[in-house]
Amino acid sequence: MSDENMLFATEEKQAAELDKKELNETVTKKYLTFQTDNLMFGIEAESVIEIITNYPVTRIPMVPDYVRGIINLRGQTIPIIDMRLRLSLMPIDTDCIIVLNVNDMQIGILVDTVNQIIDIPVETILPMPAHNAQKYVSGMCAMPDGSGTMLVLDCPLLLQS
Amino acid sequence: MENNSDSVLEMYLYETNTLLEQLDNIMLSAEQADTLSEDDVNEIFRIMHTLKGSAAMMEFEPLMTIAHRIEDLFYLIREKTMEVVPEQDRPQLFDLLFKSIDYFRNEVSKIENGEPLSNNIDNFLNTINMFIDKINGEAAAAQAQAGAQPAQAAPAAEASHSDANNRYSLRVFLDEGCGMENLRAFMAVNDVKDQCLNDFTYEPEGLENDPSLSESIAENGFVMHFSTDDDRKQAIHVVSGLGFIKTYQEIDEEPAAETPAAPAAPASEPAKAEHAAESAAPAAKKKAEPAAESAKADTSNTQNPAHHQIKQSLISVNLSKLDQLMAVVGEIVITEAMVTASPDLRGIDAAKLDNFNKSARQLRKLTDELQDISMSLRMVPVSGTFQKMRRIVRDMGQKLGRRANLTIIGEDTEIDKTIVDAISDPIMHIVRNSMDHGIEPNEEMRIAAGKNPEGEIILSAQNTGSEVIIRIEDDGQGVDSDAVLRKAIKQGIANPDTDYSRREILNFLMMPGFSTNTEVTEFSGRGVGMDVVKKNIESVGGIVLMTSEFGKGTCTTLKIPLTTAIMDGMEVAVGDSIFTIPLQNIRQSFNASESDIIHDAMQGEMISKMDNFYPVVRLHELYGLEPKASKTDDGIFVWVETSENSYCLFVDELLGEQQVVIKPLPTYLNSFGIKEAGIVGCTILGDGNISLILDVASLLTSNTGFAGY
Repeated sequence: MSDENMLFATEEKQAAELDKKELNETVTKKYLTFQTDNLMFGIEAESVIEIITNYPVTRIPMVPDYVRGIINLRGQTIPIIDMRLRLSLMPIDTDCIIVLNVNDMQIGILVDTVNQIIDIPVETILPMPAHNAQKYVSGMCAMPDGSGTMLVLDCPLLLQS
Repeated sequence: MENNSDSVLEMYLYETNTLLEQLDNIMLSAEQADTLSEDDVNEIFRIMHTLKGSAAMMEFEPLMTIAHRIEDLFYLIREKTMEVVPEQDRPQLFDLLFKSIDYFRNEVSKIENGEPLSNNIDNFLNTINMFIDKINGEAAAAQAQAGAQPAQAAPAAEASHSDANNRYSLRVFLDEGCGMENLRAFMAVNDVKDQCLNDFTYEPEGLENDPSLSESIAENGFVMHFSTDDDRKQAIHVVSGLGFIKTYQEIDEEPAAETPAAPAAPASEPAKAEHAAESAAPAAKKKAEPAAESAKADTSNTQNPAHHQIKQSLISVNLSKLDQLMAVVGEIVITEAMVTASPDLRGIDAAKLDNFNKSARQLRKLTDELQDISMSLRMVPVSGTFQKMRRIVRDMGQKLGRRANLTIIGEDTEIDKTIVDAISDPIMHIVRNSMDHGIEPNEEMRIAAGKNPEGEIILSAQNTGSEVIIRIEDDGQGVDSDAVLRKAIKQGIANPDTDYSRREILNFLMMPGFSTNTEVTEFSGRGVGMDVVKKNIESVGGIVLMTSEFGKGTCTTLKIPLTTAIMDGMEVAVGDSIFTIPLQNIRQSFNASESDIIHDAMQGEMISKMDNFYPVVRLHELYGLEPKASKTDDGIFVWVETSENSYCLFVDELLGEQQVVIKPLPTYLNSFGIKEAGIVGCTILGDGNISLILDVASLLTSNTGFAGY
């Protein structure tokens, strides 16, 4: 094989690789999905710090009921929002908390169960139909495995009172 | 890189501010004594020198110029001693220095705020120059006088020595400003002696142990007399090799009748002398420079060895690092409690935990120590803040034409650095008020009132263990409470139908809005910015108390916690929640039965304590909690008090006293206004649970909408 060929082959390979990379970067995004009541939500995995269970929540007076209180996460106090109450649903007894970083603020959301982390192609996420827009949802998409529809949670919107 | 230059700037600001403070202190004590001691002059010279150097390094041109001129001025004073400034000019000198301190402060604060420096220094520079000229003029006169004296003395002395055959003399001049001239001269004499010569005399005598000779030696040099010309040549050789010799001059004593060669010798000698001086001078100068430098360093070292040691044992640390340390130590304290009280240990046979308990005790001891040390790191004495007040009293006294004496007590008291910063302005405000409204405008009034014509302001600090009490007392006119009440009613703060106690009336002075009225100075009442004082003090968890007797004076007391990061609290339980009440706010806790409660028309509850009625706040009602003790008999009352209100909190039970590390609440929660609802922060308890810290002052306000009682 001549040197020229070698060079050519490498370039082609590189180009292909670049393409692939670009494809990955622009087209799919990692989402963490969780269940609240019968709804499946997804949050961008980037903003998730950790998932914790079994933390005692300290109640705070004089706040809306969806703010369940604060927890002590290794010396840090983090406010907890109950997803069910935030969506005006009946609360259930659960202790599964997803700690999020929203605008450099740590906040925990109380959910029924955490499902999985999946890659979602960005183009499959569609805007919500205007007339039946869910609260705090910025888009929706069908799960690739056909298990249902994921609602994309808009975290900053969640925090607005 | 930017970070780097920032830290250089920070160092510069720190250093400059420290020096200015030092300078301020020197000047204040100097003004009292109405003179500058030799040490003071040297110190000021050194400070100005450093200021000049660092300003030059930072390229702050105007600062450098001013510092340079003042350095020149003090160079003169140092050379010629304080005598050069006649008595009547001293106030002018002090004023000049105070002005320059202010100038530097002003410019430094401009640098701190990133504003450009003002280049308009000509005026100020002129003032300094004029003063220098003035001194110079007087100095020249003095010098002429001084010069005349030795001139007369010298021939006489030389004449007397010429009898003893030492006819060949050598006058040696030392380097300017080399210091300790007498000893240097003595060294030179000794060197000459060592080199070979015994047969010579020198004057003035007693060089080694009479420092007062320094002056005249610096002015006129010293003289050695030799018997032969060769001896003198050898001596010249020795002397010119010394580092601190500026120049020398050969003088021949030729008794008229002695030699026939007399006319020739004088003619050639001066020429030779001049030549020798010229050729020796550059060489000597070259050596003299470094030598003089080291000599300078030497003298400054020996002059204040104590200062030097203190400075070396101190380092300056960025406050944010200490904050971080405090945060980590706080975590360790909590974690230690979590480990030693871990629920996992329950159910384990106590005998098996022997070693664990031993180690746990050791750990507790160490964490306690660690906490104490890290707290003490942040503690600084209040003396810096207190000393600044001297200046204010002085300046205001001059401006207002009143004389007042500031007595400082307990300036070694230490407070957390952040708190010291926060209380500096309030104290200044109160001292200003004392000067402006407290002390009578003229001495006749004071004498008529049977007081010492000079006003007295006492600034004291005292550590009571849990808090620091700072008291600013003056023996001025006091507050005319009737006038204050009239004003308060006029402004709508006070209710004309209510009978107010004296203390309540004084509290009006600290209300916002009361102070903004410019007429407030018409009567003896205070109020200029007292609301700001109160706000600042309360922001660090302190309280302000004012007492005043009309005609006798006013006393303002600031009670300040030692530190904001850690406080003593009482843990109380309401339902499932735990709250922390700051211990300093608690007056008493007591049980009461339903029949003790008095109801008013608005469904409010009150309880009688010590012949006074206090409102009752049931915490579970206020916060909508499910209480364990719903009946009055089951729970407990906590009587709390702040500077503005006093009431009884009803809670389920007391859990105990605890030292807590204060943590701010998550910012998200602030949007719900829970600070206004009386919750200022939270703390993590030993078992990992969170307790909410109550703000006793705002709790009642949120409950009832008024801050009465």
